[in-house]
Amino acid sequence: MHGKRRPIPKVATQIAGLDQILEGGFPRGRTTLVCGGPGSGKTVLGLEFLCRGAMAGQPGVFVTFEERAGAIRMNARSMGWNLAALEKAGKIAIVEARLPGEEVRSGDFDIQGMLAIVGGHVKRIRAKRIVMDALDVLLRIYDDLNRERNELFRLHDWLTDRGLTSVLSVKSHRDDAQQMSQYEFLDFMADCVIRLDHRVVGQVATRRLRVIKYRGSGFGTNEYPYVFGEHGIVLFPLTTAELTHQPLGPKVSTGLKGLDLMLDGGFRRASCVLISGNSGAGKTTLASTFAHAACRRGERVLSLNFEESKEALISGMLSPGIDLRPAIRARKLLFQTAMPESIGSDGHLGRTILALDSFKPNHLILDAVSACLRMGSEQAAFDFMMRLISVVKERGITSILTNQVNGQTSSDEEISGVGFSSVVDAVVQLRFVETDQEVNRQIFIVKSRGSAHSNRRQAYVITNRGIEFTDKPQPPPVRAGSAGRKDGGK
Amino acid sequence: MSKSLQAGRRAGKGQSRHYLLRLFIAGNGQNSQTALANLRGLCREYLNGRCTIETIDVVKDFEAAVRDNILVTPALILVDPRPRVMVLGNLSDLPKVLAALRLSGTES
Repeated sequence: MHGKRRPIPKVATQIAGLDQILEGGFPRGRTTLVCGGPGSGKTVLGLEFLCRGAMAGQPGVFVTFEERAGAIRMNARSMGWNLAALEKAGKIAIVEARLPGEEVRSGDFDIQGMLAIVGGHVKRIRAKRIVMDALDVLLRIYDDLNRERNELFRLHDWLTDRGLTSVLSVKSHRDDAQQMSQYEFLDFMADCVIRLDHRVVGQVATRRLRVIKYRGSGFGTNEYPYVFGEHGIVLFPLTTAELTHQPLGPKVSTGLKGLDLMLDGGFRRASCVLISGNSGAGKTTLASTFAHAACRRGERVLSLNFEESKEALISGMLSPGIDLRPAIRARKLLFQTAMPESIGSDGHLGRTILALDSFKPNHLILDAVSACLRMGSEQAAFDFMMRLISVVKERGITSILTNQVNGQTSSDEEISGVGFSSVVDAVVQLRFVETDQEVNRQIFIVKSRGSAHSNRRQAYVITNRGIEFTDKPQPPPVRAGSAGRKDGGK
Repeated sequence: MSKSLQAGRRAGKGQSRHYLLRLFIAGNGQNSQTALANLRGLCREYLNGRCTIETIDVVKDFEAAVRDNILVTPALILVDPRPRVMVLGNLSDLPKVLAALRLSGTES
């Protein structure tokens, strides 16, 4: 076996992330089984496989046993695929296989009629791919398990004889014993078996894809989260993320001269910066100051907001004199706001990745990490943060995260947030300091990887001209052995 | 409902009505041959030959299968007299077929 296994021919699905998991795609000329519960996306997966094939010159037939052709076309349209046009061009054929319901039955019958119809369409458009959606409905016309199996064998042979790359989808309900035995048989018959899982964790829906088997091929064995993006299914095979992080880049201004001084020039590009502090300490103001300055330099900033609406944020920032509107108008600043509990951590990650793909920002702001806990569970928040930071680091994007802490916690706890301190490169702490007369704010650099930083707590106020330091900020202390260091730009 | 009942009664009475039966088969498969033999027998014995059997092989004429949405074969359609009825299978359960074609009770 070793070294002698020839790679089997495959057909790329071009579904984002799936080919990576399947090490190339579905087995060419063979059968792939996709099973999953209602709403898990079996139909969309099949449709996307067919549409992407058709658009790349590989015609395909879509056989639907459950939904009407019109519903399939609408479903496709919502993903931006124009089925009607592809049908007209002879690239796709939809076969509405509405099975007999109340008809009288007398004696044995078989599915030759359906095969004849499907075969006619296959011939007509010279189909290379075929999707049979909700095959379980077809099986239901028999009451006899043996007959079902015979017909499945017939179908399987028929598909294989024609060299069609086939995707069969079946609805599965985990707690149905008889159905389980059917699927065992289907699993055995198919060369590749994919399971889609749609579950609710902490009141938030998450979707996972798993490859159960792939005859003659390796495959990613994890469970992969997926979401329905604007143009189809998006999977996140984060198999090699850690290995491809970009190194920390040159300095980038924080937007505050004083803070730049404290950080020996600013944050480092492609680093992950955490701004932590109590409510009202100025975390969002500091992040907005950074965004404002970056946009003025002509760089792009994507701002994810889980706490406030875009409008509330814009008007809120006018008070400390930060006008974000010109940056938005110039398409340098893009807001993506959402309720954390609205779509689940996978959904948020999917949306964000799509925005990263299309907007290609230099920097990302996430306000706030603490709100991510509302995505369902601590685990969901952790997954979201880890994956997001991984993705932005891969792309060399600077990320500024804000995290709200309650009460006077020690800096260690503040850093940990939802437990991802290892990927955080710099931590800026904002806090209130009470004296007899007043409450003051102080900023402190807890850590800054790959950079010197001030060891002093600097007092600041938030005025209508933004954040201002009350004392002159001090540059990092000059340590022994760092001769020749520039003078902090005094 | 009442309309179809009436139609059924009329068909039962009108023993001289001519029957148009359309049988969909698939090639020379066992079920197809059995269905054809069963239908011919039924025509002879219960309709005294007052019937036309239109046989369509879906393997040769898939458009016809598309027109009548024939997904399983054999499939028998009673085209005339109305209302239209479809019977699936090789027609080996004679009483069931007779009932479906509204011919029950006419065999005595």
